[in-house]
Amino acid sequence: MRLLSYMGQWKSAAKEVLDRTAIVAKFLCLLHVTNNYLCSPTLVGNPINTCSIFLFSFCLFVGWLGLLSCGVQVYGPSMLPTLNLTGDVVLAEHVSHKIGKVGTGDVVLVRSPVDPRRILTKRVVGMEGDTVSFYVDPMYSQTTVVPKGHVWIQGDNTYASSDSRHFGPVPYGLIQGKVFFRDYVFVVSEFFIRM
Amino acid sequence: MRLLSYMGQWKSAAKEVLDRTAIVAKFLCLLHVTNNYLCSPTLVYGPSMLPTLNLTGDVVLAEHVSHKIGKVGTGDVVLVRSPVDPRRILTKRVVGMEGDTVSFYVDPMYSQTTVVPKGHVWIQGDNTYASSDSRHFGPVPYGLIQGKVFFRDYVFVVSEFFIRM
Repeated sequence: MRLLSYMGQWKSAAKEVLDRTAIVAKFLCLLHVTNNYLCSPTLVGNPINTCSIFLFSFCLFVGWLGLLSCGVQVYGPSMLPTLNLTGDVVLAEHVSHKIGKVGTGDVVLVRSPVDPRRILTKRVVGMEGDTVSFYVDPMYSQTTVVPKGHVWIQGDNTYASSDSRHFGPVPYGLIQGKVFFRDYVFVVSEFFIRM
Repeated sequence: MRLLSYMGQWKSAAKEVLDRTAIVAKFLCLLHVTNNYLCSPTLVYGPSMLPTLNLTGDVVLAEHVSHKIGKVGTGDVVLVRSPVDPRRILTKRVVGMEGDTVSFYVDPMYSQTTVVPKGHVWIQGDNTYASSDSRHFGPVPYGLIQGKVFFRDYVFVVSEFFIRM
């Protein structure tokens, strides 16, 4: 008798757990779909800041749901002075590269052809068919034509950037998204944290 | 009076429409996430993978988990985004991973050997005579791999057979 009543309770508890899990799973799918076709909080920042960035990006997402914006943290010296050395949260959208609207001058997130797990932030300097000149060393410049289906990317800080001058033109299919906005709230809050 | 009752009916009908739409939207999101991140049926066609895959089309199941965790290796049939045309997805076999030495025939007399650079893979179609692959456009960055084929749909093959009889 008591066993039957325990089983009954357990069954209803299990059902409730499943319902809650289904709701969470559906929400995560929705979040993920929206994130991937608009922008994603790709956590490429250093681990110390990761939690705060995730929380911040999440609040950003919830707060700016109507504007469909998400934060990506980018760091490194290769895009100085455009982007910060110690990290910047930028908004990146994932629609443009799918419809072919990425062009010269855009700052893009691109998967590294050398290490497929890394995503780089560089500027597109030449599209397919363009002629690109670059300095291999201060005396010697080289000119190449960007082949079909590829783009030529360079960091703004040419002295401290490993880009297409080192690993050649990058296939267009490796572009993950286009950066369109820097998050100045993050910049200001970082300033206050460090004060 | 009648107007108020009409509005009441319309409101409940609208609510029901919204509920149904929400269910459909959630289902589509779930379907989309599964398709993109787990497993998706894909129609592949073309002569470059004969005799493994059919010329006029084969439905295969491709999973999208392995390449993200680095489990794609030599001998796998993969879906890879073309480095020449970013809107096309090719189905080829991985013949060499980064660091491997690959030999291939440029023409029947002359063979060439290359080492696959870091972060790249060498893909070739099974039907070497009618396949444009790494022998033409060079090693392909690993990041272009979209998924790994693990199953061919034999139900589709059988039904195609019966349709053509």
